[in-house]
Amino acid sequence: MTAFRRTDKPAHIDRTKPITFTFDGKTLIGFSGDTLASALLANGKTLLGRSFKYHRPRGVIAAGFEEPNALFTTGVGGRTEPNTIGPTTELVSGITAKSQNAWPSLSFDVMAANQLLSPIFSAGFYYKTFMGPLKKSWMMYEPIIRKAAGLGVAVPDVDTARYEQRHTFCDVLVIGSGPAGLAAAVTAARSGLRVTLTEQDFELGGSLLSSGNEVLEQWRKTQIAELESHREARVLNRTTAQGIYDGNLVVLNCIPQNHPAKMILEQCRAKTIIIATGAIERPLVFENNDRPGVMLASAVRTYLNRYGVAPKKRAVIVTNNDSAYATAFELAEADVAVTVAEHRSTLSGDLLAKAAQLGIAIFPNSGIANVIGEKQISAVRLAGRHAVTIECDVLAMSGGWNPVVHLTSHGGIKPKYDEKIAAFVPGGFAPSHYGAGGVNGTFGVMAAIREGETAARAALETSNFSKKLEAVELPAMREDRAYTIQPQWTVPEGKHAFVDFQNDVTSKDIKQAHQEGYLSVEHLKRYTTLGMGTDQGKTSNINALAMMADLRGLPMSAAGTTTFRPPYAPLTIGAIAGRNVGAHFKPKRLSPLHDWHVAHGATFIEAGLWMRAWYYDWAGHSPETAYIKEMELVRQNVGISDVSSLGKIDVQGPDAAEFLNRIYVNGFAKLPIGRARYGVMLNDDGIVLDDGTTSRISDTQFYMTTTTAQAGEVMSWLEYLLQMHWTDLNVHLTSLTDEWGGMAVSGPNSRRALQLAFPELDVTTETLPYIGVMDFVFEDVSVRILRLSFSGELAYEVHCPANYTTALWEHILKSADSLGIKPYGLEALASLRIEKGHVAGADLDHRNTLDDLGLGKMAGKEKDYIGKALRFREDCQAPERWSLIGIECMEDGKKLRGGAILFAASDEIKGHGRGYITSVTWSTELNKFIALALYNGGLKHEGEDIICAFPLKNENVKARIVSPHFIDKQGERLHA
Amino acid sequence: MLKASSALFSAKPFASNLLAIVEAPDFTLTQYAGVEKDLKKALGKLPSRIGIVQDNFMRVGPTQIWSLNEAMDAPNCFVTPLSSSRTRIEISGAPAREVLAKCASIDFHKNEFKPGTFAMTGIHHVPVFIHCVAGEIFHLYVLRTFALSIWDHVSDAALEFK
Repeated sequence: MTAFRRTDKPAHIDRTKPITFTFDGKTLIGFSGDTLASALLANGKTLLGRSFKYHRPRGVIAAGFEEPNALFTTGVGGRTEPNTIGPTTELVSGITAKSQNAWPSLSFDVMAANQLLSPIFSAGFYYKTFMGPLKKSWMMYEPIIRKAAGLGVAVPDVDTARYEQRHTFCDVLVIGSGPAGLAAAVTAARSGLRVTLTEQDFELGGSLLSSGNEVLEQWRKTQIAELESHREARVLNRTTAQGIYDGNLVVLNCIPQNHPAKMILEQCRAKTIIIATGAIERPLVFENNDRPGVMLASAVRTYLNRYGVAPKKRAVIVTNNDSAYATAFELAEADVAVTVAEHRSTLSGDLLAKAAQLGIAIFPNSGIANVIGEKQISAVRLAGRHAVTIECDVLAMSGGWNPVVHLTSHGGIKPKYDEKIAAFVPGGFAPSHYGAGGVNGTFGVMAAIREGETAARAALETSNFSKKLEAVELPAMREDRAYTIQPQWTVPEGKHAFVDFQNDVTSKDIKQAHQEGYLSVEHLKRYTTLGMGTDQGKTSNINALAMMADLRGLPMSAAGTTTFRPPYAPLTIGAIAGRNVGAHFKPKRLSPLHDWHVAHGATFIEAGLWMRAWYYDWAGHSPETAYIKEMELVRQNVGISDVSSLGKIDVQGPDAAEFLNRIYVNGFAKLPIGRARYGVMLNDDGIVLDDGTTSRISDTQFYMTTTTAQAGEVMSWLEYLLQMHWTDLNVHLTSLTDEWGGMAVSGPNSRRALQLAFPELDVTTETLPYIGVMDFVFEDVSVRILRLSFSGELAYEVHCPANYTTALWEHILKSADSLGIKPYGLEALASLRIEKGHVAGADLDHRNTLDDLGLGKMAGKEKDYIGKALRFREDCQAPERWSLIGIECMEDGKKLRGGAILFAASDEIKGHGRGYITSVTWSTELNKFIALALYNGGLKHEGEDIICAFPLKNENVKARIVSPHFIDKQGERLHA
Repeated sequence: MLKASSALFSAKPFASNLLAIVEAPDFTLTQYAGVEKDLKKALGKLPSRIGIVQDNFMRVGPTQIWSLNEAMDAPNCFVTPLSSSRTRIEISGAPAREVLAKCASIDFHKNEFKPGTFAMTGIHHVPVFIHCVAGEIFHLYVLRTFALSIWDHVSDAALEFK
């Protein structure tokens, strides 16, 4: 037996275009223009899912995003999408839909036994029951409960769909294409300004699509045709406005057609916004109101007029307002026997007359006492004097209308209660926002059209458009009937009167929450789970709030609502991520030498956003062995390494020297031209910010280098100081990190290598001493040589514009080939500096003071510098601060590890210890593992034995505290 | 002269009948910084505000001018060559504005982002300077070290026009 049938009336489906789809493995046929829900109803499928908690049989209730029950899992593999909303899913060929939360089958669901336990599964049951007997008992219960309850299940497969994002702008954004939205969009478009109309449905028209009225249909088509003729009007159907944010930023998610992307998340910045989001019908709350076949009256009307799907023979309508009579009349005209259970005692004459004419029986002062039928409604028993049982295929309910105020509230404006329509309406609009139609509580078509036009004219005025515009033509039909309603807020008796269909919250749960003191709407929501889930309580919230207000003896206006937050409708995480996935997850930063490294056997490692050459094939195929060979090359001969990632800043201006003198702890005012100086800068809290070398190029120009990690932060900090504090200094900063590439040529033979590469250049110590700088032009390219050493060996940094860095690198390699020069990577670079005792990013943890790093003596005593005052605060001078030490491993065959926790030899190995290893390497010079570390009291403990504990590998290694300068303490090599 | 190398050496070419994305190399970019009177004296008439290109000069800050002309002496100004710092990507064709709208939160409508104007914005978290050269031709000045990443990002955004 089926409860629905296709009519042969005109509808918005194309009966010449059948579409095949499957539901729970069974192949079915619908038509182009159908939704998944309408096609299922047309195929006689009314049992469509099982409820969240009690596994009660559920069917379709609504015809829009508010649908709480008709949710399906669609797609397969990585394209699987749980909780797809049936009434908004456009039927396309090949959809595979599966019902949810049922096993082994929808019809026979084992967990339906939960219904027997429903008396104890009331609100707060989990919180009260599953907290004991042991402290961690919840961990045991949780997986079982999760398996037993819920909606669709996300699959672990990677989502293979493509999601895009874009940014758009317009003068007028109209959200919603019902009568108000269409009128607003057409009016605004006539101005020639940029207008965007968005509609969540795949067809424009909103409530007009459900009307079945030829005049309105013609009006709809005329407006759409006109919109299409305006060049600056942009129409986006299949697009949901998910949220309105500051600055009139509206986030839209669009489902494009014939496009590689499944979804496009659009950030639309609109000068003005017209919200024409309409209204959603409220259910009524009565016993067994969740049975398949119990639907919103407006939904029944939509399925009838838009999709040509009608109840088979008999429908009962229960209502407290006039709007449901449109459904009643149109059902009767479609040969459905209609009975109305009317909550009100009196009705207006025109409704009574038309009902009589169509043979509709009306029971005033009535309602629904109970619904009969489990997996499909078969009859209803009326409440009140007429306690009769009426057979029916469908029960259509209407408890009034809730304006869709969500978007109006995203900016923090709370909705207000309107007694006249018994609903919440916008509490106001932000400047440049306007509302029109149902969202304002205006439920008539003619009034909505007029409001749409008025809103558009106001929006145009805000956009400084003042020309006269032609009025939108009204449809040739009579004026709207007045809307009357008698709200039903009292809490019904019974155990299965559902308020929230998606979360299985009943009127009994509301009562219980009240009894237990969860009175505020926010507490009510969280205690009962009311209004959560994919529908976010679009059909349930107002009824629940009203019941709580009734129980508390408060007027609705005092009860308030919960907070509306974006997104308005379910939004897949993929849309938020967009194309920032996989290789596009984050930008990659490549050295000018990157392609050379690739071609010459480098293995890369990520260093922040940089991809850096880690080690090279010539030295080995694993980092553990390759870096040792590369280190040996530098210690014994000469190597070349890419240091292009160093931050580089051009500091120019007559006050450049004074500026540097203020930001570095050591003096720079008298740095001679052609010389470099190592400098350390502090934050204003006295903590080390960064170190690096700055060279003086001329009286007014300096070339600063920073660490790779801190380059951006240092640049921002310096700009901040100049722009906010030292506006009197005439200094200009420019980042040269991308302009200049750099290479370190290091090792005892490095000078010979440069002499071979630049035979006409004098790079002897006399001309280019340690920390000397030399600029010259080589083959028409500016080159800068800085005699600096990170490795502790005789070494030079060679910098040149990035476009020529590869050519210069190749030239040096080729020229010094006879020496055996080879490239060395980041691992060796870092290990060499550990042997020398140079601190770097790993050791600078943004908690170190100068003294912690053993650099306190380099600070100028007389001069002032950033961070000086707070550097000397008590805590920064505490004797037991974690300070820099060196560590030598004392056990053969064991290794030190980065992050190891340090304990004194006599300590119990427990807790946070006295410090930790910041950098570690195998020393080719000392033939043992060495490390830099921060240790309580620092070098006061030099010579003491310690334990390096690494609990992750259950290792405790004996080591000794030594100076952090492991090699060449006198600096003879680098001064060679 | 040493041979120049491109940051887009390994970039995957973008081929389409509707849209071209290519590297536009061989340009000179120089920054001049200084007070207004010195800048004017050295360079001549300058754009009065950020966002417009005038005689290949672009004001990128109150005291900073970028020039696409050959570098010149500028007494009392502070000159910084930047030709290597940026990779220039040219995107042209009817859908160019649509593609750019997927990359940066700038209004690329033809009435708003006109030829001769530029925007300093960001693509994929990276600072990018976009210059509208002609109706549907744009130059993206991208930090060299991020050039390949941005090339990939823009090419990916243009997938629907391939």
